[in-house]
Amino acid sequence: MPMLFRTLIVGALIASGSLMAQEAVKPLVPLEVNPALSELGKRLFYDPRLSGDTSLSCSSCHQADKAFTDGKAMSQAYSGGAHFRNAPTLANVGYRAAWLHDGKLGTNLNDVAREMITETFLMNMDMRVMQERFKQDPVYVEMFKAAGYSEPSNGGARKALQAFLKTIVSRNAPIDTGALSDAAQRGQDIFLGKGQCASCHTGERYTDDMPHNTGVPNNPDIWSDPARHSVFVAYAKFMGVENYMNLREDLGAYVRTHREETKRSFLTPSLRELTYTAPYMHNGMIATLEDVVEFYNEGGGEDVNKDSALTPLGLSAGEKDDLVAFLQALSGDSFAIEAYVWPDADYGYRVIENWRDANN
Amino acid sequence: MKRTKTLIAGLVVIGAATSLVGSERPSQLAPLGPPPIPADNPQTPEKVALGEMLFFDPILSGNLGMACSSCHMPDSGWSVQSKISFGYPGTTHWRNSQTIINSAYYGKLFLAGSSKSLESQARSAARGGVAGNGEDDMMEARLAFVPEYREAFAMVFGDDWPNIRHAYMAIAAYERTLVQTDTPFDDYMRGDDNALSEQQQRGLGIFAGKGNCIACHNGPLLSNEAYYNLGVPPYDGWDDDPFAQITFRFELYAKGVTEAMYRSTKDDPGLYFRTKQETDKGKFRVPSLRYTQYTYPYMHNGMIETLRDVVEFYNDGGGENEFAKNKTALIQPLGLTDGEMDDLVAFLESLSGEEILPPFPDIPEMQPLPAASN
Repeated sequence: MPMLFRTLIVGALIASGSLMAQEAVKPLVPLEVNPALSELGKRLFYDPRLSGDTSLSCSSCHQADKAFTDGKAMSQAYSGGAHFRNAPTLANVGYRAAWLHDGKLGTNLNDVAREMITETFLMNMDMRVMQERFKQDPVYVEMFKAAGYSEPSNGGARKALQAFLKTIVSRNAPIDTGALSDAAQRGQDIFLGKGQCASCHTGERYTDDMPHNTGVPNNPDIWSDPARHSVFVAYAKFMGVENYMNLREDLGAYVRTHREETKRSFLTPSLRELTYTAPYMHNGMIATLEDVVEFYNEGGGEDVNKDSALTPLGLSAGEKDDLVAFLQALSGDSFAIEAYVWPDADYGYRVIENWRDANN
Repeated sequence: MKRTKTLIAGLVVIGAATSLVGSERPSQLAPLGPPPIPADNPQTPEKVALGEMLFFDPILSGNLGMACSSCHMPDSGWSVQSKISFGYPGTTHWRNSQTIINSAYYGKLFLAGSSKSLESQARSAARGGVAGNGEDDMMEARLAFVPEYREAFAMVFGDDWPNIRHAYMAIAAYERTLVQTDTPFDDYMRGDDNALSEQQQRGLGIFAGKGNCIACHNGPLLSNEAYYNLGVPPYDGWDDDPFAQITFRFELYAKGVTEAMYRSTKDDPGLYFRTKQETDKGKFRVPSLRYTQYTYPYMHNGMIETLRDVVEFYNDGGGENEFAKNKTALIQPLGLTDGEMDDLVAFLESLSGEEILPPFPDIPEMQPLPAASN
């Protein structure tokens, strides 16, 4: 009910003039962080010792050259498993109101970092081991000091990861610099008007941060691979979903609401950096931006809970091309630069000398 | 009381030194009978067979890589033949791996007795951060994808889907079959005078007499299951292995000690973790001496390499560690001659029978799970 109401309001705003909505979209203002803290966070982000068996770092599934995604339909997971959803971009992650495709985390980035590190099918890290690993690494000992901590700690590590995540902000997209091509400008009009994309893709990040059901088909690969399916089962079980052993669909936001009408609804994704983040949708079921536009042109997929705002759009081939051009103009500079990449695999331990006398 | 008993035992041995052969059996020792079976987890052949598969299956770990058998290897005395057990990948362990053989008889498991049953020990090991590092929901989910397990759990436990608690029960049932009750010592105690050599019989005399081993190593298990600090030196890897330093602090942190202790303690406090009594620091459960021929090195941290070294350690009156004031007064220099120590070692060897090396079971694999018709 609230969702429908909001959709109507947004729709009314759009109908009243595309300029109004257009003006709402401005370049993202970088978030303020302590540079020493975010530098520490950057090193942590690339450190595989944040996973239990030291096989995965944050960057395993969030790769800078892919706008911090991994290019796969569904991401990898901890050893022995595989994930059942697409790795989301971390571009502008600090501005989000909720995280994970189903919106399970609605608090803050601290909880996001904790969840990724400790979740058994993600990094499966006992953070008590993690803290002691950091204390044994002389680079961390110095970096935590520089960031204002007397020694490495789990809380400090999560704060540092948050600081680094907040620095991942889109830069120099044509939509921000004003360098839109003619096609992109025509596409923008379609985006705001006939395409009704801005019903949900609003604001600087082009998302309302709300769950919607668009009828994206389930990805059958979840259930054909026991490694992936077993992770799916563990998640559904943990989230209290009934009859999880016979479940053969991703229930999305339902896992936290347990309300029938939210089944298979997923948070509206940001549209920034799309050119780096294929394939698309929460389960990677749509390979290209052209296919995404075609999906919406047909009114989305089939689902009893599908958002009523989704109807066939009747876009011409040219209009679809223009819309794709606009979507591409929402992508800026690559993140594969020094500011976002830890250059050295300098992850070592040192022995604490005179250990028996050390106050460690 | 304890001292009186020791004196009497000593007198008996001295008085019988020449005539012990073929006659004396110390009353504090006995052959090993069948293990106790808990009423809530009875043995069945099907349950044992399931437990055997699970014992060898890395499915019960975080990374699908660490089975029970990874650190309790049949060809290494069902333990690990190095000071410290293997840790989960990316870590090292911090204590010596104990043999599974005859673990069924202990009232409490782990070196400081932190588990009250084999069932709960299996769970702790599967989940521990430097052991299996698994999570119950995830491991249980994986079991459901193995057709052979679905069938076995249904038959043995009546499970619709494998229940992780039942996995630990099956493993415990399997472990209760890994016993050895027919060592030369057992045969001797049952009346076969020729089961022990003359040297071994002399060793038994020292064990029960001058060596005073029997003060703690008594009963059919040759353990009174009490806790003592012998002054075993700390694990030397803590001095030069950063992984060992990491794990040591993790254990202090995870098991809950004061910050002062977390920062300054440099040896395993053992029983203290359970009781939080200062007087329990450095105490560990008396181990059974059975099957020790295969379970070197010795002590809770593997710091003593051979049985002969162990005997010499005791002959010297034990050692010294950080918790010296808790060292038991039962440990005193023994004044054994080289020959007596040889005899004692020979006797200790009679506490191990044939090596137990069953064929490895076939481990079934996870398979796709078709949707049920319901």
